[in-house]
Amino acid sequence: MKQLTLLFLLSCFLLPSPAAAKDSCYDCHGQKGMKQYVDKSAFEQSAHGHLSCTKCHFDVSGYPHGKVSKVNCGACHFIGTEGAPKEQARQYKLSVHNRVTAVGNAALPTCQTCHGSHYIYPSADTRSSTNRQKIPALCSQCHPREFEVYKNSIHGKQLLEDNNPAAPTCFQCHLEHLTPPTASNAWQLALIKQCGNCHSEELKTYRKTYHGKVTELGYVTVAKCADCHGSHDILMLNDPDSTLSQKNILKTCQKCHPAATPGFTKFYAHAEEKDRAKYPVLYYTFLFMTVLLLGTFAFFFTHTFLWAYRSLKERMNKKGGE
Amino acid sequence: MAEIKRFNAYHRVLHVAMAVSFIGLVASGMPLKYANAPWAAWLMRLLGGYYAAGLIHRICAVITFGYFAAHIGYVIYDIAIVRKFRFNIIGPDSMVPWLKDLEDIYHSFRWFFGVGPRPQFDHFTYWEKFDYWAVFWGVGMIGVSGLFLWFPEFFGRFMPGWAFNIATVIHSDEALLAAGFIFTIHYFNTHLRPEKFPMDPVIFSGRLTLHELQHDRPLEYQRLVDENRLEQYLTGPQQTWITDAGILFGFAIVLIGFFLLILIVMGQFLY
Repeated sequence: MKQLTLLFLLSCFLLPSPAAAKDSCYDCHGQKGMKQYVDKSAFEQSAHGHLSCTKCHFDVSGYPHGKVSKVNCGACHFIGTEGAPKEQARQYKLSVHNRVTAVGNAALPTCQTCHGSHYIYPSADTRSSTNRQKIPALCSQCHPREFEVYKNSIHGKQLLEDNNPAAPTCFQCHLEHLTPPTASNAWQLALIKQCGNCHSEELKTYRKTYHGKVTELGYVTVAKCADCHGSHDILMLNDPDSTLSQKNILKTCQKCHPAATPGFTKFYAHAEEKDRAKYPVLYYTFLFMTVLLLGTFAFFFTHTFLWAYRSLKERMNKKGGE
Repeated sequence: MAEIKRFNAYHRVLHVAMAVSFIGLVASGMPLKYANAPWAAWLMRLLGGYYAAGLIHRICAVITFGYFAAHIGYVIYDIAIVRKFRFNIIGPDSMVPWLKDLEDIYHSFRWFFGVGPRPQFDHFTYWEKFDYWAVFWGVGMIGVSGLFLWFPEFFGRFMPGWAFNIATVIHSDEALLAAGFIFTIHYFNTHLRPEKFPMDPVIFSGRLTLHELQHDRPLEYQRLVDENRLEQYLTGPQQTWITDAGILFGFAIVLIGFFLLILIVMGQFLY
């Protein structure tokens, strides 16, 4: 028994348990006013609360310690074998944020820029720095002009003023970890589908137009949602400042069709030929064409099949007679 | 075997121009019409991408307007200069439908059902006249709507923008009618029916056999004999290479047409 107690004490001294080590870190860093203060209870409720300090600050082994290097999240979230989610870091590696980091722009965001360090919570938690209500302000740290425009847009107002849980933040379009270059064709085409996730009727009717068909085939040179509706500055159609208001629509069409006239803007960019109330001329044109096609095919297919039957029969009779 | 002149070189060349441009128009237009079909992006790439396909479509459209104008010019030349206006608009040599065509349709259906003899045809049958006028209707409808869509900024000066929505519906559905008709009914009526299978070379060689004239167009034969004009139409056989090249071309066009037809049917009904 005496030996066992001795062994226990010895092991405490030689191999400090994580809990014990953490407690000893709080001896200094748990004191308010201390440089690098860590709120113990807030940290323990965070996504990493179950980990020891040295899991991330692995260059610290005791007290006093020297300068502590910046934590490398990728040690668990990019390589690591312990099952930490890795998809996000892999996407980040491909993003514009990281690509420019690689050429040495120190202003570009790393994981901590958005997520913070000790108080990382699931994004649904209002304490999280990436909670949807906080996202536009988060991005505005580096993209202030975009934020100024966005916060006055219909999406921005819905999110920031009306707390609409369906309103898109920066992330819905720019994809938080992947953030592809805005010049990327694949991203521009994927955005159309993204808009359609909420505006499904509009996507369906857009796909019936030349614009929608060309983009569906993978070409970006024709009008996509944002080319007409705007992107950060998107407003309701009835807003006089909308890119599609009476005042602005001609200028918007002229971006691609420089010789467009006011009459040109009466094009239905979201036509639905089956909607008689809204598009009567289109509806009756479609009806006429449908009747014409069905009528012509019905008559001539009947004619052709009967003809084929009679001809074959006559030829068989002739052969039988010979 | 004596042969009978039916189509001159001008007719035959225009028909080839028509066949080539029609295939080009259908192939380069259908990836847009059926953009959601899985073959659409593939066909578009095969044609060289969206820009190249658009160029092919417009070149074939210009060929179409060209053969259309060339034909109108020919008709005017033929009636005014060659025939010096001695031409019956309503008559056996005219493409204009007359009462006999309705009677022939009626008697054809009686023959189909086995309750009467096959009607006797003259120079043009009713289905040939339908094919002929269908091109006028088709080129008119598709051509005009196509020009609207080709030059929207210009036409937008004279008409509201929603005219382009109307033009899109007309262009697309009329094209489906034309392609669906040519790749099934025209192919069958002229080439694939048991009497002509697998191909009637007359549009390439320009010549009928005397037997074909007597059998398929007995009224015309009788008329030429009665008027003592059969001699005028007698000719030797066409040069073999012309007929052979024509038949080869014809088979290629028919096969491409069938292939496009399968894609159209998939696009129309599956996706």
